[in-house]
Amino acid sequence: MNFKQILTDLFTYTPQEEYNFELLRNSTNDTSLENEKLKKENQVKNIYTSLRVNLEYVKSKYNSMINSDIIVREFTLIARGKQYSAFLLYIDGMIDTDIMNRFIIEPLMLRSKSNLYGNDQNRIISEAVANNITVRKVKKFNLADYIMNCLMPQNTVGQYSEFSKIFNDVNSGNCALFIDTLNVAFDIEVKGFEKRSIEKPENEIVIKGAHEAFVENIRTNTSLVRRSVHNENLIIENIQIGAITKTSCALCYVKTLANSDLVSEVRYRLNNLEIDSMLSSGQLEQMIIDDNLISIPQTISTERPDKAASYLLDGRVVLLVNGAPYALVVPAVYTDFLSTPDDKNMKTSFSNFVKWIRILATFLSLLLPGLYVAIASFHQELLPTDLLYSILASRETVPFPVIFEILLLEISFELIREAGIRVPSPIGPTIGIVGALIIGQSAVSAGIVSPVLIIIVAITGIASFAVPDYSFSFHLRVYRFAFIFLGYCCGFLGIGLGLLAYIAVLCDTKSFGISLTSGISPLQKTVGHSYFLQPIWLREFRASYLDAKKEEKQEKISMKWKYPFLKKEDTK
Amino acid sequence: MTDSKITSKEAIMLVVTIFVSHTIVTLPQNLLSNTKSATLINLIYVGIIAILLAYVIYRLLKNFASLDIIDISQYLGGSVLKTIVGGIFIAYFIVTSSNLLREFCEGLRVAFFPMTNILSILVPFILVLFITNYLSFSSNVKTISLIFPLVLISIVFLFFGNFGNFSFERMFPVLGKGFVDTFITGIGNIFAFSGISCLYFIPPYLKEPNQMKKICLSSVIIGLMYFLFCTATILLLFSFFVDVDEVLPLYSAASYIEFGIFFQRLESFFMLIWILEIGSYLIVTNRFSISIFQKITNLKFHKPLAMIFPLLIFGIALLPKNYSIIRFLESNIYAYFIIAIVFVFGIAILFLANLKKKKERSVKPQKTQ
Repeated sequence: MNFKQILTDLFTYTPQEEYNFELLRNSTNDTSLENEKLKKENQVKNIYTSLRVNLEYVKSKYNSMINSDIIVREFTLIARGKQYSAFLLYIDGMIDTDIMNRFIIEPLMLRSKSNLYGNDQNRIISEAVANNITVRKVKKFNLADYIMNCLMPQNTVGQYSEFSKIFNDVNSGNCALFIDTLNVAFDIEVKGFEKRSIEKPENEIVIKGAHEAFVENIRTNTSLVRRSVHNENLIIENIQIGAITKTSCALCYVKTLANSDLVSEVRYRLNNLEIDSMLSSGQLEQMIIDDNLISIPQTISTERPDKAASYLLDGRVVLLVNGAPYALVVPAVYTDFLSTPDDKNMKTSFSNFVKWIRILATFLSLLLPGLYVAIASFHQELLPTDLLYSILASRETVPFPVIFEILLLEISFELIREAGIRVPSPIGPTIGIVGALIIGQSAVSAGIVSPVLIIIVAITGIASFAVPDYSFSFHLRVYRFAFIFLGYCCGFLGIGLGLLAYIAVLCDTKSFGISLTSGISPLQKTVGHSYFLQPIWLREFRASYLDAKKEEKQEKISMKWKYPFLKKEDTK
Repeated sequence: MTDSKITSKEAIMLVVTIFVSHTIVTLPQNLLSNTKSATLINLIYVGIIAILLAYVIYRLLKNFASLDIIDISQYLGGSVLKTIVGGIFIAYFIVTSSNLLREFCEGLRVAFFPMTNILSILVPFILVLFITNYLSFSSNVKTISLIFPLVLISIVFLFFGNFGNFSFERMFPVLGKGFVDTFITGIGNIFAFSGISCLYFIPPYLKEPNQMKKICLSSVIIGLMYFLFCTATILLLFSFFVDVDEVLPLYSAASYIEFGIFFQRLESFFMLIWILEIGSYLIVTNRFSISIFQKITNLKFHKPLAMIFPLLIFGIALLPKNYSIIRFLESNIYAYFIIAIVFVFGIAILFLANLKKKKERSVKPQKTQ
């Protein structure tokens, strides 16, 4: 930079040009016009007999001039020696090109001897002569049938006369074949997009159970469920949700077990969702549950096909969403959130022991900090004198009230947990260790929190990890803060009344017509359901609240090998 | 309507909840001050009478299938009598609830919140009632059935936890102030079984109305067992000549329990359970009040009333100026109030309705002749 330039820059003013983009809202007229246009476009249109018109329509619909992955392959098709113009429509990257070349393009384009035979297009089926009059039954040549039956060596082919159906399948990875003179198009399955292979479950780890988890592809997931259930009565209905995304959802149930009213209700709710898009099972869950205001989960979410199959065999309904590696199971009851698939794989005594631990974990996760605050603020007499002295001594240097102290630690713990999830997986555990050890230790040394509180928050955190269901654990985490405030404001009075309101709301919550607290009333026996498992030979019935079509799960004497001397009718 | 149907076990718990909640406050104290060391014998005696009365109520209700006392009074005297009976029972539920609430809150204030205004202790209960009144009847009953076993355990635990501290000589003299005070004037202790009032309103809610007999008898028997446990704990633990003026005698009894050196003062945990029980009691009385009001005004939905009745209870609970006025009302007025409404008025209405029915039955065959 020379001297002159420096002087010019110093003494002259040049207004700075700023780039400024603002998203302007369309005027009401424009929006309504656009909506009218969209409505017109969404009207059902049938396929034309003219290939040229079809081609124009397809190109305009798919914006093929600007859409880089939409392929329209024009070619000449040979059928019985005659040539027809045709084109294939598909999306690059979603189809298997090998299948496309070998089983669609090759048979349609290449000349084979049988296909070259083009004598009489009409075929005589039968012929009869009576009174010198010959009566012939002739089958007229049908090009669509001929292509379908003779030229398409492909297992899944459909014929549709509406554009919407064809487009829907092309968007899913199929290809469409349009032929001149035909007012139908062929929908050929050639899906071949990249997908994640079946892997181990990440969030529902078991010791003795299967190690397969759902993936994003709905067909893979349905196959996993079907493999586990292994019965022809398993029905997998396909329902599309979302005006734009048309996401495939599978409604799965065992026809001979699931209550028909339950299945109808689930189907009714799924069919009556007026939304543009549905991208995950979590979104679907929120759209179909009875009450969204309270945070208590009302469906079971699982990534395990064996767990889903087990619920299907109980008479429940499983929902799968394309693109989501989680299945939703309805209806759900409170105790389902404290159960794992491994419970049934272990000996009854072992599983019942861990079930007790989970109850304790739920209790601690929800109430421990609240109880600590209540005891520290109002009910110090509960603690033995020595312990009370040591707690008081540890709190002597802490300048904050107990509520501030516990909120500080609880929020820090939530921050650590959230950060542990968001950061890349190799760093995640490190964050946890750094957070828990270093920050905790430093906070105590600095006199910001007391060591007892560190123990309380740590136990609460560990307890919340011991709750098997993620949504339920989250729910406990949120409600814990409410109990902390209640404990601080009114001690046990607040905790007690909060608990009463919580239980009342819990008892009022329903999941698809079934109370969430079904089976947990200690004085009311629910046949076929108890939180604590009975020995496997005593699990004879399905839960009565499900009102399954078949109540018995197994015969009265299931281990018949043990009683060979009993008559067959005595064992039933 | 299916949503509001309850099982016979739930119905029993509903009735017993009313019995139990009074034992948590000053009921054992009142019983003891009436009959002194003969209270246990007196309780067994009035318990047997209560069982008989419950059986009488069952017999009288039996002729009216699934109708409650409000429907029956309509049958007896039309809408006017229905409104009068409904109004009396609403007043009964509201007044007893507010009195119990105030008494319990005074106890809480003495125990935990000596510097707090009684208003602040009452408000949380009212807030919870706002929430529970919005929920369905069956969910309310389910809530009670979840809490009830805890209360049962707490009372049994209290009894056996204090067993080592009992002085059994306090049972003597067995007849307390004498035969007349125990068995003649002592009959007034039947007010303890005020929970029987629920029996008048339960029939429409029952899933199995044919279980009414079981409900009537079982609930009174379980209630009697409770009373015996509670009263025995107080009687055998305290010298009633000295300590009978404790604010919450069961709470005081809980402070005597010791398990090793760690669990020395467990009364707060007991209080936590009893708070749940008092909440349950208020839920029941509120729901019955709302249900009666719905019937006498022909209202279809209960939710618009969800806030009115708790506010009414709140207002009435604030009326007594201090604890001694509450104690005076409790021991001198409410006992007669309960006996008059529950055991005289209720049974009289049912009896007259049965007479009318009998008369109608006898008239009908004559008409057909």
